[in-house]
Order: sequence, then structure tokens, then C-alpha cells
Amino acid sequence: MAAEHPDVVVVGSGAGGAMAAYVLTQAGHRVLMLEAGRDYDPKTETPMFQTSADAPLLGAGTPDKNFGYFDATVDGGWQVPGEPYTTAEGSEFLWWRSRMLGGRTNHWGRYSLRFSEHDFKGYSRDGLGADWPFDYEELAPWYDRTEALVGVCGANTGHPDMPDSSPGVLQPPPKARVPELLIAAAAQKLGIAAAPMHRAVLTRPLDDRAPCFWATPCGHGCSIGAAFQTTTSLLPLARKTGLLTIRTDAMVSAVDVDAHGKVTAVRYVNRKTGKTESVSGRAVVLAASACESARILLNSRNERFPNGVANSSGQVGRNLMDSTGAGLGAMIPALVGRPRYNEDGHTANHIFIPWWGHEQQAKGELDFPRGYHLEIGSGFDAPNAWTGAGVQGYGTALKRRVRETYGAGVYFALRGEMLPNRDCYMDIDDDVRDKWGIPVPRFHWRWAEHELNQVAHGLTTMKALIETMGGEAPALPSPEAAIRKGGEIIHEVGTTRMGTSRKDSVTDQWGKAWDLSNLYVTDGGVFASNPHKNCTLTLMTLAMRNADYLAGELTKGAA
Amino acid sequence: MSKQGRDRLPRITRRESLKWFGMVLAGNALTPYPADAAASVVVGDDHWPMLKLAPVTAPGYGQDPDLVAMTAGPWPRTLSAGELDIVRLVAGILVPREGDVPSAAELQVEDVVDEWVSAPYEAQQRDRVPIVSLLIWLDAESERRFDQRFVDATDAQRVAIIDDIAWLDAQEIYRRPAQAFDRLRSVIVAAFYCTPEGSADLGYLGGKAIAGDYPGPTAEALRHLAGVLASLGLEAWVDPAAG
Ligand SMILES: Cc1cc2nc3c(=O)[nH]c(=O)nc-3n(C[C@H](O)[C@H](O)[C@H](O)COP(=O)(O)OP(=O)(O)OC[C@H]3O[C@@H](n4cnc5c(N)ncnc54)[C@H](O)[C@@H]3O)c2cc1C
Ligand code: SF4
Repeated sequence: MAAEHPDVVVVGSGAGGAMAAYVLTQAGHRVLMLEAGRDYDPKTETPMFQTSADAPLLGAGTPDKNFGYFDATVDGGWQVPGEPYTTAEGSEFLWWRSRMLGGRTNHWGRYSLRFSEHDFKGYSRDGLGADWPFDYEELAPWYDRTEALVGVCGANTGHPDMPDSSPGVLQPPPKARVPELLIAAAAQKLGIAAAPMHRAVLTRPLDDRAPCFWATPCGHGCSIGAAFQTTTSLLPLARKTGLLTIRTDAMVSAVDVDAHGKVTAVRYVNRKTGKTESVSGRAVVLAASACESARILLNSRNERFPNGVANSSGQVGRNLMDSTGAGLGAMIPALVGRPRYNEDGHTANHIFIPWWGHEQQAKGELDFPRGYHLEIGSGFDAPNAWTGAGVQGYGTALKRRVRETYGAGVYFALRGEMLPNRDCYMDIDDDVRDKWGIPVPRFHWRWAEHELNQVAHGLTTMKALIETMGGEAPALPSPEAAIRKGGEIIHEVGTTRMGTSRKDSVTDQWGKAWDLSNLYVTDGGVFASNPHKNCTLTLMTLAMRNADYLAGELTKGAA
Repeated sequence: MSKQGRDRLPRITRRESLKWFGMVLAGNALTPYPADAAASVVVGDDHWPMLKLAPVTAPGYGQDPDLVAMTAGPWPRTLSAGELDIVRLVAGILVPREGDVPSAAELQVEDVVDEWVSAPYEAQQRDRVPIVSLLIWLDAESERRFDQRFVDATDAQRVAIIDDIAWLDAQEIYRRPAQAFDRLRSVIVAAFYCTPEGSADLGYLGGKAIAGDYPGPTAEALRHLAGVLASLGLEAWVDPAAG
């Protein structure tokens, strides 16, 4: 029924699409979801207790499975079979996709940090980038609702870069492990505060989902539903209403728009038959991921809209941002041969180092305008294809060395804010089509001085932390060599940004396209800036708020 | 080649190199690429074979393999029985039995090496040439030093060869075998520690479901940390989660 006459067609079943479908169906609206990937059931398909020995090549990453054999990604990674993308000359950009129900939420890192008050009005503060059309206060209650629904563990610490959640919203965080405690102590000596990480992992039961049992890597997926993925939470909840129909293997190519600026149909390729089909609803929500939604809008061009639809501002595909990334690691002699215990925990950071430099930036003491945080790699990891790598010699001496150095390494990963710049954007490469005949995106990329200076600062900080722990830091690479490629941190946002004026933004504060009466975007495309706090919690919070607005409009009969 | 290396290693005589050349042919007779490999054998000063192996063209496991059911790569294996014998012997030297803990050889890690060098992926194919070359070199080196193949040499003789190539700063003459050995070692060592026996030997204590909250560090681990902090002059950080 929902499939025949949906109120809303939602494109994509990942973080943004599933949240929109959840909110809309709870409000009583019928939703038809179109998802390019195949159906996927984490309950039966997740390798939970499999070890590296149970995988081809000890589970090592390959061109088929870039993040390791057991990573949950289906038909994706840096490349999707038959669906290329291109980069402009001189540009490097990586675009991670997956073709499965639930999209990248099946295997994301689940780090879920709120943006803070600093993050929404950056332009007002330093004249760079763009302001968001609202401030933190407006979003705070929506963060509460999203965190409670998604299930986020963490702690309120009053850290200036980490707004508190309302009491009772966060689930209790796990205790820090030994190397994390050492790092926190070293940071403390440098005047930098560590804090419990916030992660979309249950430590208490929620709905049908069990709490974490501290044993199996979340990147494989989580069959018990503890690690948030839409396939064990939002989608089953939305389905329970009886108002959600999901059509998988439906690759949307374009939307049709009438003379009044109304979307009349969503066109898609049925991947099983190769045939193009179309559906219509009172409203359309694009949540195919930032670059894919922008691609759909640009590919919807026709005589009336030669630059694509919803693009009178010319901003569709522009303002493409990722997080900056860089890393540094070392062996810490004081951790060599330390006592063993089970350090699996929830298999990711229990603590991390939030950005500590707002005051310094306000005083103009730093040569880069926006902050970063440091994530931590450490611990007695499950043995894998890299165990013992780099140890030389042979025999019992080699074994002793592997045992001693096990769990003695630490690695810091910087994740920083980048500013939008004119050189970073995507457009359509008219010379290349994917196997469905759809023109593909072409990426343009160049890091600016802001990001390079930030990475240089981060490397110096990581070195200081390593040395404070008595380690010997490797020679620091140049920031140009250290900074990861555009897209590589997989936080791409900004391609359909929201704003207060139709002149320089694609959507209003509700994610509604300025130019169209019934088209909304609920993925990261709407981000006006890309603070260093991993984007997905905010993406889902905006999706919840904006789908709630759309639900109201539908009820009023306004959409 | 360093002077020292040249002095230490008698030059391979024509007779020896011909004998070795024939051995390579025989050793590879069961593999799918003998003719090709033989055709490209070059004897250098360090008698390192320059193999040009026919590329592995078998398909990989694809981008949507059955993660629960598939436990080994589906591609055909390429190492010959003779080569596997050498890998097994090297594995026993790299990770020997210690008390109750079996050696890597007893745990059949040669299967992982075979899977690894036979895989159609670029990184593994990059490892394949040096690793297969090393297996050939080990036999030739054993012939050169002891006048018998690696499998027929004594344990002490085999260890003597491995000892010369076990460090990356090996003598110049052993640089290429040492680099190749480093790759083989990394696969064998990882394969060993990934077994239940190796994992236990390493001291990995995770992978077990725990009901309730994560217990965190043990008292012993915290005591050790306190000593580390004291030695580094650091004050303990108060974990809000430790409550
Ligand atoms: C390994 C990894 C770790 C990550 N870690 C974190 C983290 O710790 N914290 C964090 O905040 N973020 C993290 N991310 C990023 C996070 O996954 C994304 O920000 C988030 O999933 C984006 O949500 P989305 O709905 O926009 O896109 P997706 O989740 O990718 O969902 C989009 C869906 O739309 C479908 N689709 C695409 N094109 C079409 C089309 N044309 N027609 C129909 N359907 C289409 C896709 O198949 C997909 O299912 C990580 C990502 C990866 C890959
Ligand atoms: S560690 Fe916990 S949350 Fe992560 S996959 Fe395992 S059970 Fe799920």
C-alpha cells in the first residue's frame, strides 16, 4: 500500500534516510524507501566471533575488501563494481560507498560527538566558511532525542568542546584501558584534557537491542544490535508501523520537476532487471549520501534547469568538505611486557582527546582557525595479519620480542575541521557513465593552508604526547606528506549546504530545497561547515529535526 | 657487494650454478609456471634468482563474499610440495616449539603462506616473487654450503643459513634474501599468532562475551600502570567511567 501511494519517497537507507523514514512513519506517513544496494540482514550475515584465522589471508584488507575481509561493507569500499567516479587532473579524492541496506551505518566507527556552540557560527567568529542557520541551543533538544533513540554511551564532563547531554540521555561509558590512561595522564601534563569517547554503542538494553558484550569488532557489524546500525534499529522500528516499504536494488538516477518547481517523480534503475522505473510521492527526501544526492540533483538537469535542479544558487556540488586526517605512532618502552588482561572493550576508543585550543584561537595564538581531536590506537588487539610485523630475527628470541611489544604501541589519529574552499567540489563527468548509464561525479580537491597548518600542529602535539610517555617519536613528516587524501576520512559533507539565503545555499534550515516545493535533503550534504567532531550524529540529528518538520507540513497538507 | 661479503661467499662455480638451475626446474615441475620461471632465472653475484612468474589470474573472493561461511581464499594454490616442505622447515625455525606451545610448523602455517602467495591481489602478488625466490635461494644456498638441499640439511645447517638472513641489516650479500625473508616471516609469524595456540601464547585474553559492564584493567594492570606513571613523573588521570 505504502509502495503504491507513498506520502514520501526516501532515497537511501543509511543514517539520514533511515532516520527520516523512522520519524515520518512514527508520525503516520507512508514511506517508500529506494535503496541502491542489496537487502542485508545483520542478524544472519555478521561474522561475530570469527577470528582472523577464519578468514582468507588472515583477514587482511584487499582490493575487494579494503578494510579487511570481515568488514561489513557489501559491494563497495573505495570502488563499487561498475560504478566509477573520476577526479580532475591534479586532484586526489577517495569516495567510500557501500551497496547494502543500511549503507555505511553497518560498518561505521560509531563515534558520536555533538558539535558545540563554537561550531555553528564559525563565520561570525573568524569570517571564514559559512554560518549555520541556527545555533547550538536550537539543536540541543534534538541531540538529546537522537542520542536517546540511537543509544550513545559517554559521559558529561563539562569539557568546553563537548556540550553535555541532558541527564539520563547518555548510557554509561566503559572504563578506560591502561594505554588510554597513560595517554590521558601524559596529555594532562601538557595541559590537555582527555575525555570518555561518545559512541553509538549500547551499554544498556534499548528496544529489541542488547547491550554490548565487549568481544567482537564493530566494523564487522553487530548482530545483537548493540552497535548502532539502521538495519537493527531505525529500519525495524519504522517497519513495525506498517507504513514503510523498502525497495532494495533501486538505483535512483534523477528526479523529474514540473514547471511549478515540484518534484513529480523519482526515476531509478531496477538493478535486477536493468530497467528504469519511476515512483512519485507528495514529498521526496534525498539521503543517498552527500555526493550521491548532489549527483542526483545535477543529473536531473533538463532544458529548464541546465545546471541541475535545486541549483539556482550554483552551490550544488560545491563546498565539499571532509575531515582532515593524519597520524603518528610509536612504541612506548614503559608499556613493554605489561600485565595482560582483556582490552577488547567495545573494540574502539574508550577515551580520546577533544579539541583544547578554542581560547588560544580566540586570542589569535594559532596559525589555523579550526580545531581537531585525537583518536587513539592502542591495546591488546586480537591477533591479525599484522601481529608481529616489523619484528626481526627468529626463534624463541623473536617470540619473546613479539610477546613483549604486544600492546606496547600507541597511535594517534588526528581528525580536524576543514574549511570549504573554491578548489574542493564535485561536478558531473559527462564523459563517464556507470553501468546503469548514469553520468558519474568528478571530484576536485586541494587542501588549503588552514588544514596544513592544523596538521603540522597536530603532528607536533602527537610527538609531544609520545615523548611525555617516554617514547621516541618518528621523524615528523611534512604536513603535505602527512595529510590524508580528500575523502579518505569518509566524512564528506557540504554539497547541498543549508543556509539563510537562497543565493548562497541549496536548502533552508529544514533541509528543504529553496527552489523546489517538496524536496528535502537529510544527508551530510546540508552541512554548512564540517567541525572536527565526526559528522554522523549531527547528520542524524538534523535528519530527525527536519523530517519532523516535513511530517508537520504533510499533516497540515502543505507539502 | 661488500668486500666482506665477497670474501665470505665463494663464487658459485659454473658447475654449481648449472646444478642449481636444473634443481629449480625440478622443484617447480609441479607448479603451473615452471617453463616461465625457468626461462627467467638469472644468477647474480648473490645467486638471487630473478623470477618472472606468470601472473596469477584466478578471481578473488569478490566484494560480497559470504563472511560467515568462507574461511579461505577460493583461488588455486600455487606452491609445489617441495616448496611447501621448505616453508614448513622455515616455520619451525622461525617459531619453534616451546614447552606445550606447538611450533608454527606443527600448526600448518604453510597453508596460509600458500594461500597468501597464490592470492590474485596486488599486495600478495608483490610478496609472491620474493618469497618464491627465497625458497629457491634457500635450496641453492644449502647446496652451495653443505652440498645438499635445504630439506636434507641438518637442523643446525638450516639455522646457520637463516641466521645470516634474519635481520634487515644483513651483510650486503644477504640483503635480497633478508628482505624476502622479512616478508615470509611476517606471514608465518602472523599466521602462527592467529591460531588459538598462538593467540594464547601471545596472551590475548579477549574475544569472549562478558555479561554486564566492561570490567576494565585488572588490579595487577593498574598497579603496573601506577609504577609506569611514577617512573615518568606523571599524575594519574581520573577516569569518569571508573566512578
Ligand atoms: C569505516 C567507516 C568509519 C566511519 N566512522 C564514523 C564515525 O566513527 N563517526 C561518524 O560520525 N561517521 C563515521 N563514518 C561516516 C558515516 O558512515 C557516514 O557519515 C554516514 O553513514 C552517512 O550517512 P548517509 O545516510 O549520508 O549515507 P550512507 O550511510 O552511506 O547511506 C546512503 C545510502 O544510500 C544508498 N544510495 C546511494 N546512492 C543511491 C542512489 N542513487 N539511489 C538509491 N540509493 C542510493 C547507499 O547504497 C546507502 O545505503 C564512517 C564511515 C566509514 C565507511
Ligand atoms: S563490541 Fe559490542 S557493540 Fe561492538 S560489535 Fe561487539 S557486541 Fe556489538
